[in-house]
Amino acid sequence: MRVRVAGSWMVAMLALAIASLTTPARAGGPTGTEARRPEIQTDPVESARDARALAARIDAVLAARWAKAGIRPAAISDDGEFLRRVSLDLVGKIPTAAEARDFLDDPAPGKRAALIDRLLDSPAYTSHATEVWRRMLLPEADTDDDARPFASTFAGWLRRKVVEDAGYDRIVREILTAKLDAPQSDLDIANGVVRAVPSPSPAAYYLAKGRKPESLAAGTARVFLGVRLECAQCHNHPFASWKREQFWSLAAFFAEVPGEGNDPTRMMRRERPAPVRELTIPGTKKVVAATLLDGTKPEWRPRAGTREILAEWVTSPENPYFARALVNRVWARFLGAGLIEPVDDLDGETDPELKALLDEVSDQFRAHGDRLKFLIRTLTATRAYHLSSAGNGAGRDTSATGPMFATMPVRGLTPLQLFDSLTRATGSGQPGDRARFLELFSGGQERPSEAETTIVQALTLMNGSYIEAATNPTTGRILGAIVDAPFLDTRGRIETLFLATLTRRPTPDEMAKLVEYVERRKSNDDRSKALADIFWAILNGPEFPLNH
Amino acid sequence: MNRDLFRASRLSRREAMRLSVASAMGVLGASSSGWFEALAADAASHPGRRKSCILLWMSGGPSQTDTFDPKPGHANSGPFKAIETAVPGIRMGPHLPKLAKQMKDLALIRSMNTKEGDHSRATYYLRTGYLPQGAVRYPTLGSLVANELDDDSVELPGFVSIGPVRSINPAAFSSGFLGPKCASLNVGERTIAGATAGDGGASSLRVDDMEIPRGIGRTRADDRIGLMRELGGGFVESRPGVPTSSHRSAYSRAVRMMRSEAAKAFDLDTEPAALQDAYGRNPFGQGCLLARRLVERGVPFVEVTLSSVDGNSNGGLGWDTHAQNFDAVAKLCEVLDAGWSTLMTDLRTRGLLDQTLIVWMGEFGRTPKINENAGRDHFPNAWSTVLAGGGLRGGQAIGDTGVDGEQIKNRPVSVPDLLATIVKGLGIDPMKQNLATDGRPIRIVDLKAEPIKEVLG
Repeated sequence: MRVRVAGSWMVAMLALAIASLTTPARAGGPTGTEARRPEIQTDPVESARDARALAARIDAVLAARWAKAGIRPAAISDDGEFLRRVSLDLVGKIPTAAEARDFLDDPAPGKRAALIDRLLDSPAYTSHATEVWRRMLLPEADTDDDARPFASTFAGWLRRKVVEDAGYDRIVREILTAKLDAPQSDLDIANGVVRAVPSPSPAAYYLAKGRKPESLAAGTARVFLGVRLECAQCHNHPFASWKREQFWSLAAFFAEVPGEGNDPTRMMRRERPAPVRELTIPGTKKVVAATLLDGTKPEWRPRAGTREILAEWVTSPENPYFARALVNRVWARFLGAGLIEPVDDLDGETDPELKALLDEVSDQFRAHGDRLKFLIRTLTATRAYHLSSAGNGAGRDTSATGPMFATMPVRGLTPLQLFDSLTRATGSGQPGDRARFLELFSGGQERPSEAETTIVQALTLMNGSYIEAATNPTTGRILGAIVDAPFLDTRGRIETLFLATLTRRPTPDEMAKLVEYVERRKSNDDRSKALADIFWAILNGPEFPLNH
Repeated sequence: MNRDLFRASRLSRREAMRLSVASAMGVLGASSSGWFEALAADAASHPGRRKSCILLWMSGGPSQTDTFDPKPGHANSGPFKAIETAVPGIRMGPHLPKLAKQMKDLALIRSMNTKEGDHSRATYYLRTGYLPQGAVRYPTLGSLVANELDDDSVELPGFVSIGPVRSINPAAFSSGFLGPKCASLNVGERTIAGATAGDGGASSLRVDDMEIPRGIGRTRADDRIGLMRELGGGFVESRPGVPTSSHRSAYSRAVRMMRSEAAKAFDLDTEPAALQDAYGRNPFGQGCLLARRLVERGVPFVEVTLSSVDGNSNGGLGWDTHAQNFDAVAKLCEVLDAGWSTLMTDLRTRGLLDQTLIVWMGEFGRTPKINENAGRDHFPNAWSTVLAGGGLRGGQAIGDTGVDGEQIKNRPVSVPDLLATIVKGLGIDPMKQNLATDGRPIRIVDLKAEPIKEVLG
């Protein structure tokens, strides 16, 4: 049984006490914006058709671009490469050996599209998508101890949104209008014991930003609008036209956010002070009023909160930045580079062709209810997404011309993708391993296509206890099963090792050499060790820890 | 062989040869051993000792008014009373008494003028010498120096970073277009704020997993690495780029280190307990001790980050003292003073101080005016950095910020000026050009840089 409880943030977060039982209003309900929206396509069959049509449009634009630059794109990926890629991208881990075998041996011509549908409907997609959203919206939880405890309430809330297939506009509106003064915890009554647990809520967004108007403004601009305003915090932006005053005018929308030093009992006294909609720029005497980034004065309404007005403007169909910022990021996630780079700066220079393409995809995204799945169906149906990552030329060096998307870039895995894939490939994992891996492999490049292996990571994967146990036939679950399987010969064992790790069968050349490597041993024990060596070599090799 | 990986490196031929020898000797053939030997068989003559650099990186932006540019008698000093140093006329903040005694080996630069007040951008600027712009990935200082001074006969990486908090801006800690061969070995890295091992001691600075697991043995380990290279060779060849080349590079470096005696550098317990005490039993102090051991073994660039004390993390930006500045600075200075001053004494005793340039800097300074929370805010207009040892002219203060510290009165020093001074002090031409990924030549330090000649002597 779950009961809603109101209390102060600290109370809720620490789950220490329950102040009073009330029925607070639903956090962040829909605002008036939806009424004004143009018609939205929600029928799944129609949407899927539209996604394919949009993918074809993207294909045409890119093909023209390749022709103009005289570039021949890479070959279409083979089934193994594609299965591995789409599994990592949609569910965050590689497929099992059995899944790989089934897919490779499936003769159906439409199997790639069917696979995407299957993955998008799987529970693993929900977990992975929640994690991807969380990393985008609450990146602080990865790097900041103080923010970490809030990741779970935020993720719990996000998970609900993913399950509901909520539109991106609604997700952002709920964040921007999150109730902060009456935080909630759920009363969890199990076995007669009552515990207060923080309710899933987007309010962690504010805590992770230290509840500072300037951090909230910078985050809002960068993530939701693809506009980098941080520098305008201290001085006028040297390149773009953002001014310091504009920055603080945006921050003023968050002037009311209860700060750290605030009296936590303030709200319980039910005071209703007049809304605060202005800020003093620190270090100056200048007071600025909440003003939208495009310079318009907000139209306040008696019953609409300050942040509600901001949320309406941010997610409004007329706001050119909102959908583009997201589409550009998701594009980069699936195709290795954004249409505009860096991905969180839509003011960045780009080719007009690519900018027009971003506009077109963004408009379609909005016309389909800001649904992420529509965007994913579109991008994964493009030819660019199906291209191989192999090949030396094909417009890899794109700094002069902007990205060509003519070869799939090789991308590093996130720490979680790597760990989940290792776990899947080896069947091993102790409770402490996960945290250690996430710690060791985080902090790297922001751009997956420039991911670097560090020396310490190499040492851990070569000599660390996790890999040691996983590559020992007596302790490694998957390896042990393959080594002991009575129905497999050496070739079958080697093939299964490849399918379980690299989602492909060995090439004839690899197979010949590896069979020899195993069979030249006399005893069964030595042959097992040789298979363990192969497993170790694959896990440590360059192909396993990369999405290609 | 991937050209990018070895381009513009004086090590290129030897390194390339070694890699091809190793892959040609594929373990699947008759000779299944030899990879390690091929790596270890570098009996190259030591080309004479070069200079090294130790960067003490003050994450968050340290207050100059409370450290190296005190304003005695002015309200901006707050509760701190400046102390005399070994050089008459030059004073310091009250919590650096041991360093004050070594003033004759320090050159204070009190007139930094850098105009960048955002942590992320300023961190990038100070650590690369360039503002983040366009597609060029500028290398961090350590990578630039390692690229010039790394000695191939030394089996340790040319750039070791101790306790970095890379998450503030990963690009500011990256080897950028110089590529993975110049990337840092990170020890005691903090991905999260706060102490890594919690003990504040040497164990958090160990490099884990350097030993081949028991029961595997050297021959088998050798076979495994050979297999790995052989199986991965085609993948790397067909997919050139940072992810694949950095994988190859990191594994080569890791394997060399595993086989090397030099890796004993990380075993701080061989040092006398009294010396460990003097450095300070905390990650920064022990990091300084490790830095000395690494420099002694020929590592050209080591950086030690001071990001927190007492497990009080402040988001990895320990010097970001917007509130309660004086308590925080006192604690940070206590750790800093012990670690840094012992490092100088220790290097001097070993005859290494003149060959080791120590740099103290953060991403910016802090407002001389004290805010309403007894804190100080970001201040890139007029702040301090320090150079020490390295054969530079110590015992002097460059620049002047007047009685209140709010404006530079003379001799403004820019980021390129500072970096050019450091690089030149190490015997490197700051105007030398490296090739960026797109083939564009990029100088080690920006063309408009002017090294501080008073310091270089």
